[in-house]
Amino acid sequence: MKTRHVVLSLVFLVLGYLIAFSYELTKGDQEKINFNSREWERSIQLRNQLNELEESNRKLQNDLFEKQGKLLDIEDSITDEQQIYSNLANEAEELRMHLGKVKVSGEGVIVTLNDGLYDPANGDINNFMVHEHHVFNVINELYISGAEAVAINGQRLTKNSYIVCNGPVISVDGNQFPAPFVISAIGNKDTLEKALNIQGGVKDQLVNDNIIFQLEKKDVIEMDPVLSTGT
Amino acid sequence: MWLPVLGLLIGLTLGLLTDIQIPDQYANYLSIAVLAALDTLIGGIRANLQNTYDEKVFVSGFFFNIILAASLSFLGDHLGVDLYLAAVFAFGVRLFQNIAVIRRILLNKWSFPQKNKKIDE
Repeated sequence: MKTRHVVLSLVFLVLGYLIAFSYELTKGDQEKINFNSREWERSIQLRNQLNELEESNRKLQNDLFEKQGKLLDIEDSITDEQQIYSNLANEAEELRMHLGKVKVSGEGVIVTLNDGLYDPANGDINNFMVHEHHVFNVINELYISGAEAVAINGQRLTKNSYIVCNGPVISVDGNQFPAPFVISAIGNKDTLEKALNIQGGVKDQLVNDNIIFQLEKKDVIEMDPVLSTGT
Repeated sequence: MWLPVLGLLIGLTLGLLTDIQIPDQYANYLSIAVLAALDTLIGGIRANLQNTYDEKVFVSGFFFNIILAASLSFLGDHLGVDLYLAAVFAFGVRLFQNIAVIRRILLNKWSFPQKNKKIDE
């Protein structure tokens, strides 16, 4: 009888333990479910927030793309402008060369005019001297034939240069030069040479006037810039 | 007679004081185990009233049923079949049948006290 009670109480102990534990667990479960529902609401909230953020992100991304496109356009236009500027700079450089503001070099011809050998038996000395019109003829011929720069005895000629015959010397822009006169011209050397040597052209006229005419073709002629601002 | 009640009380307090958190799926097995325990207990009471009570059968049935029910639902959980329903059904039916038998026996007892007393002795 005693053992029976002991066994029975053991059974009841286990039963009570199981019931109580199960009850406790179910209670905890319910709490957890409540917690879960709260959690669920929170997650919905967060998800909505995330959606909003993604939406705004997308908008910002589109904005960024648009702005990048604009930036590209601006860069293109800047490139164009720079090209224009560099073209303008090149042009300015060329114009400066033409004006004689900078040192220039290139192929061309050198014409040397010297007074003829004076023969006292043959009349006037003036017929044996180089006059300004001789120089004019040569220079005009050179310019007409496409010379880009002309200098007399190293003095660059500009658009407002003047040449004056002053007795035995020639004054170019106020600087006096005696004979021989070295006229250097930059341009296509073959063209210039042919233009001067043409039959009945400048050379023949000069030779007729008893002037010693020398023509030299050169691959490189250097000309110093005009130092004075000119008159 | 007081010893089993004391055991029940101790078990209840121990269970309430136990603060172990077990995963959700194991809570199911525990409920089934409780059901099995209750079924065995009611069955034991009926057997006692019918004088066919056997302590060995009762005790072994009690623990064996608990373990079997729990492992059955565990297996069902892993097979994807709700086998714990089978346990619930079986134990529920048996529970009600046993309770009905107990009720009839008790009714008989109260209706014919002398006769029942003779049987009891």
